[in-house]
Amino acid sequence: MSENLRALSNRKGLDKNLFEQLVDRSKGEGTPSNEVLKSLAHEYLMGEAITYGVSSFYDFLKEEHRGVKVHVCNGSACLLAGTQDSLKEKLVDNFEENQISHMCCLGRCHENSAFNYGAKNYSGKDIDQLSGIIDSKVNSLKDSYTVGSQLDQPVLTGNPMSAEDFVQAFKQLNSKGADQVLSELKASNIRGRGGAGFPMGFKIESCKNIEADQKYIVCNADEGDPGAYSDRYLLEHQPMLVLFGMMTSGFIAGANKGVLYIRGEYPEAIEIVTNAIKELEAIGMHGANIVGTDFEFKFKVIEGAGAYVCGEETALLSSVEGQRPEVRVRPPYPTQEGLFGKPTIVNNVETLASIPWILKNGGSAYASLGTDKSTGTKLICLDSFFINPGVYEVEMGIPFKEVIYEIGGGFKQAVKAVHVGGPLGGIVPISEIENLNLDFESFQNGGFLLGHAGIVSIPERFPMIDYLEHLFQFTADESCGKCYPCRIGSVRGREMITNSKNGDSKIDKELLDDLLETMEVGSLCALGGGLPLGVRNALQYFKDELNQHIKQE
Amino acid sequence: MENTVYINDQHVEFTSGETILSLLRRQKIGIPTLCDAPNIKPFGSCRVCSVDVALEKDGPSKVQASCHTPVTSGSYVYTHSDRIKKLRKNIVELVLTDYPKERFAADSPKKNSIAWITQEVGIGMADVRYESGETHFNNKPDDSHPYMRANMDACINCYRCIRACDEVQGEMVLTMEGRGFDSKVVIGQNEGFSESECVSCGACSQACPTGAITDVFNSKFNDATEKTRTICTYCGVGCNLKVATKNNEVISITAPYDAEVNGGHTCLKGRYAFKFYNHPERLRSPLIKKDGEFVEASWDEAYDLIATKLSEIKESHGANAIAGISSSRCTNEENYLMQKFMRAVVGTNNIDGCARVCHSPTALGMQRAFGTGAATNSVEDINHTNCMLVIGANPTSAHPVTGAKMKQAAMKGTTLIVVDPRETVLARYANYHLQLRPGTNVALLNMMLYYIIEEGLMDLEFIGSRTEGFDDFQNQILAINIDAMESVTGVKKSLVRDAAIAYASASNAMSFHGLGVTEHSQGTFTVQLIANLAMITGNIGRKGVGVNPLRGQNNVQGAADMGVQPHQGAGYLDFTNPEIHDLYQNYYGVDLPNDVGLKIPEMFDAALDGKLKAMWIMGEDVAQTDPNITKLRKSINNLDFLVVQELFMTETAELADVILPGASFLEKSGTFTNGERRVQRVNRAVPPIEGTKPDGQIVIDMMNRMGYSQPDYAPDTMLEEISQIVPFFKGITWENLAINGKQWPVAEGGVDTKIIHTEEFKIGKGQFAHFDWRESEELETNASEFPYIITTNRDLEHYNCGAMTRRTGNVDIVTEDVLLINIEDAQSNGIADGDMICVTSARGKVDIKAKISDAVKPGVMSTTFHFPEIMVNLLTSDVHDSEAKCPEYKVVAAKIRKSKGEVREVVG
Repeated sequence: MSENLRALSNRKGLDKNLFEQLVDRSKGEGTPSNEVLKSLAHEYLMGEAITYGVSSFYDFLKEEHRGVKVHVCNGSACLLAGTQDSLKEKLVDNFEENQISHMCCLGRCHENSAFNYGAKNYSGKDIDQLSGIIDSKVNSLKDSYTVGSQLDQPVLTGNPMSAEDFVQAFKQLNSKGADQVLSELKASNIRGRGGAGFPMGFKIESCKNIEADQKYIVCNADEGDPGAYSDRYLLEHQPMLVLFGMMTSGFIAGANKGVLYIRGEYPEAIEIVTNAIKELEAIGMHGANIVGTDFEFKFKVIEGAGAYVCGEETALLSSVEGQRPEVRVRPPYPTQEGLFGKPTIVNNVETLASIPWILKNGGSAYASLGTDKSTGTKLICLDSFFINPGVYEVEMGIPFKEVIYEIGGGFKQAVKAVHVGGPLGGIVPISEIENLNLDFESFQNGGFLLGHAGIVSIPERFPMIDYLEHLFQFTADESCGKCYPCRIGSVRGREMITNSKNGDSKIDKELLDDLLETMEVGSLCALGGGLPLGVRNALQYFKDELNQHIKQE
Repeated sequence: MENTVYINDQHVEFTSGETILSLLRRQKIGIPTLCDAPNIKPFGSCRVCSVDVALEKDGPSKVQASCHTPVTSGSYVYTHSDRIKKLRKNIVELVLTDYPKERFAADSPKKNSIAWITQEVGIGMADVRYESGETHFNNKPDDSHPYMRANMDACINCYRCIRACDEVQGEMVLTMEGRGFDSKVVIGQNEGFSESECVSCGACSQACPTGAITDVFNSKFNDATEKTRTICTYCGVGCNLKVATKNNEVISITAPYDAEVNGGHTCLKGRYAFKFYNHPERLRSPLIKKDGEFVEASWDEAYDLIATKLSEIKESHGANAIAGISSSRCTNEENYLMQKFMRAVVGTNNIDGCARVCHSPTALGMQRAFGTGAATNSVEDINHTNCMLVIGANPTSAHPVTGAKMKQAAMKGTTLIVVDPRETVLARYANYHLQLRPGTNVALLNMMLYYIIEEGLMDLEFIGSRTEGFDDFQNQILAINIDAMESVTGVKKSLVRDAAIAYASASNAMSFHGLGVTEHSQGTFTVQLIANLAMITGNIGRKGVGVNPLRGQNNVQGAADMGVQPHQGAGYLDFTNPEIHDLYQNYYGVDLPNDVGLKIPEMFDAALDGKLKAMWIMGEDVAQTDPNITKLRKSINNLDFLVVQELFMTETAELADVILPGASFLEKSGTFTNGERRVQRVNRAVPPIEGTKPDGQIVIDMMNRMGYSQPDYAPDTMLEEISQIVPFFKGITWENLAINGKQWPVAEGGVDTKIIHTEEFKIGKGQFAHFDWRESEELETNASEFPYIITTNRDLEHYNCGAMTRRTGNVDIVTEDVLLINIEDAQSNGIADGDMICVTSARGKVDIKAKISDAVKPGVMSTTFHFPEIMVNLLTSDVHDSEAKCPEYKVVAAKIRKSKGEVREVVG
């Protein structure tokens, strides 16, 4: 994080956002040219190296992305489903090898065979219509999946909030006043849904309590965890909930700008949210004097460019600032020194989307859902191995087996484990499912992690060693490269596994344990720090399977 | 319990907000680090500095990187727990998997951080357990640049170079490319140093822990046997340098981190441009001109000839037929000796220095307004100001370390107003760039003062209690014709108004000015108006405010302080006052003249008239750097006798009768006084080159030869002599200057002064004075025939006449003087980029290469005079500041045409 770059970028701020300029200029050829990068650097008074270094970080801006037309999903769910090889074979008939690249998880985990072409995502059987897609004759393809809820009054999966509902909700917000709404949020005890589980009320309050000429609300819509597509659901089907959650946060904290950082892998979500903002604008719910009050709030959508680490909040903020999204040291926390150095609340899509319900029904009503420490509801995502793939809203604390076997209906084929909470989550063997409830504490106590609650199934036929290789490779690909344990450790770990798979040499268990500990306690953020959990779970529960790869004393 | 922490169960007090690492260092607990460096912010990438932190005794502990984690009160920090020791070792093991083995074997733990840290954590290359995997070896070394070098095989991705380039210099030439394991440090757009925007400051090279980025001198990793701390000889910033030597030869220079002035930073002149000192062209013997040819002579021969000649001339024409020019490149002690020699031994006040041609209007203007001709504040105040007003100065080139500090502040949001005809680097970052026509400073500052008064933004309390003459001044300012001034300056009045409001409304506003203020016919008046701006807004006497001239040479402040002026003796005392005169006579023990002597331009006029017969010029190349060279050469040729003390055969030395080979700053001791009145120790790093002598010793030799007993040159005894006559040096001793020097006035006991005029001005009340703008005589006379205005300036890479920098690698970076010309003017004259242009002024003509640039507006061109081959000063005029006689280098009426290609011969 460079204070200078932050300040220089802030000279144009969100209005003519540097990162947005870079992304816009990549649209034609797949990456901005060096000349364009130089002229942008001059315009923003930065060194020519800077824009070059920034663009080289992102999958969709880097030089290697020049000329790429189609992206194949290489996320965990598609990998485990085994659909991508045949998908790629079909693509090769229509595209040059160098026109095909990857995107990591398009959020089509419910039907796989996912690819991205022409700023649209496709999955399932869409590939069969590839020629029509290329000729633009087929353009109405939409994915569908079950959206379910156990609740009478769903928090997140009810009838979508309309613009008119939005106005009414704002009037209610305004009449209650910031202080009362804040105490409702605190009473709800809602915890961040992005994975870390930090109480939202405290976050908003600490930002509210800091005096500043400018504050920001940032919606972290960089749902990068393979296996999770609940945020995509909310952005595409419940955008008003998210926008209202942001506006409420701004109303309480005294922020008048809201940034939605939506991953570039979700083009439809970007379009839908942008349209929702336009809809609000059309009825005077955007900008100054909202509903005749002196409250002002403006949204800004920033499109990501292919970097998982931008889901880490400080990396996300650096990304919006047009810097390399390398994880920052904390403190200062974003609520103290966030976007452009100003107090900023960064919250996950799902957390924000819960706010309208809490405002309407009260904090205690929300707190009465779920468990004492994990209140409310949680969206879970089930992949295509389930009989009933889809997004489901469940009350926190329900038995995990209910999720797997009742809601999900069990598996279509033999599954040996489920990976819950993304690549940095825990690998839960089938045998442990019955010992868990779906809440933060139960998973933690069981030696796993609820995280964002995407659920990826690992079939019996899929070698665990290959999955571990995939996890290390994922971390190596997505590491920002700043801290040593993650940057070097992820590659050395991947090499150890690859060597053992290839029969070159078996894994030195002590060394692997040392590596996992180094990454876990030494890494700067949860990317390097989170990987060891799943690996350790696998080593513990799949010892017999993995033993052949481990050097025996 | 407030601010209490337990380090390894020992109870320790900490400072609020400090990091664990900073506390541990203060406790002298060794913590290994790789990404941490003294002058850049904590970054947290290597994680080797991790420690265990528990919130209660025997409670659960958490691993935290000590470099960026603030100390928590009441916590328990364990710096060497088993798990921490293991973690450090395991991280370093990972680093070694991507570090070249052969390099590791050759690294010395004293210099290379990898070799050191492996020792610290107890691991060697042979202990690495990982099998060989992907690495970042076999990079192509970058040797494209005259100074900078890169071989990224040894890079450990600690980001120190990138952060230094950004946080210290502010250039942002370096970046990481790619991400994760593939990320690597690249230069520019991965194009190498010479193609990049690198300004060769060397901050990256000094920051690099492994030598992946280094320089041709391998500064951090060479086999120097001794290091000497001294002060840079180039500009008035006064950077502290650490000079590494081996076998009495300088092999590299770095910047000490504990230097208050430059905190581990310096520029390419200070760091890399030292090879001039033992250049083959150094003068190594006294030379006497016989029949038009220089022949080597012994010191005795030379001294005898000089003594005879000077005595003869004094005998037949009087002492005032002799004049001396001292050198701002030399030490305080040497300058003191030179003026003492002229006054007490020769018997004339005809002593002046190059301040005449640069900051004499500053000294005079500030003396008139405040009573002291020196910066009111310190450079570090940049960190405490809300608004910087930079007038006629290009500090990123001429005062690079101060310039970098200003740029850093401006980037981070400190309001910046730049008044300059050129779009300087700082102007690009400015909130307001008032790009005025050269020669209209007075008009523009009057406009600013007008708007401040009109907007009612005066600090009436300050004006009432601390100043005099405001009412008259106000009436006169309000009477100016603002529209006329708008058209005179060419700057929109709304912009001037906005800038004036920004300056006046800032809670602390600070001004800086350079030669773009002083080298004008109204230079002194401009300085007085800058003083008015500070007084009218109450920006005097506290941190982050004031009037701060950016002094040119390393010791231009000191030379004037030491009495190198024809009208004041050492310490600015007025010798025309009989009491003062007596004081000096008593102190020097001889009769002294009490008539005011000649200023430099007057000396040359007197020479031309035949009244001045002999000159002694110490370390100044007037025949290249003074204006209107043709006339100046005529003047010098009209002298009977010229002595030049020099390092090289300069244009001026060529004209001498006797040349005495002096010694450079690396070869002698003494003190320099920087632009913020800081007197700092210059320490000899190597003995004088054989055949040369320190300039102070030469002057002393002559003093003794001419019958005045002066002990041999030694900095401590010289300082003792000076401190007894210069009032503001009273408390200075060689010992108490220590490593960071003292800012004068220094009271007895050694108490120095960072900010002057805090309670009252030196002259009691600050003096307001009004001046109407007047068109330069140069333009009034010549503009109709010579329609363009040329203004002169300096390059980062070269220093003034270039005698030193042209004999270093700097000449491979900037090879010639060029003329910056706006595309409009180029096109209308049929000139393309790189064409030779024939430029003519009323004095002469030169051929110079055109560089098309939008840094200058149509009608205005700019150039430098670092190269004698071009001799730009053939063009400059005799017009001087009406008060201080500083030449008007900044306004030259000229006409241009595409050159026919002939190369001009230097006129002899």
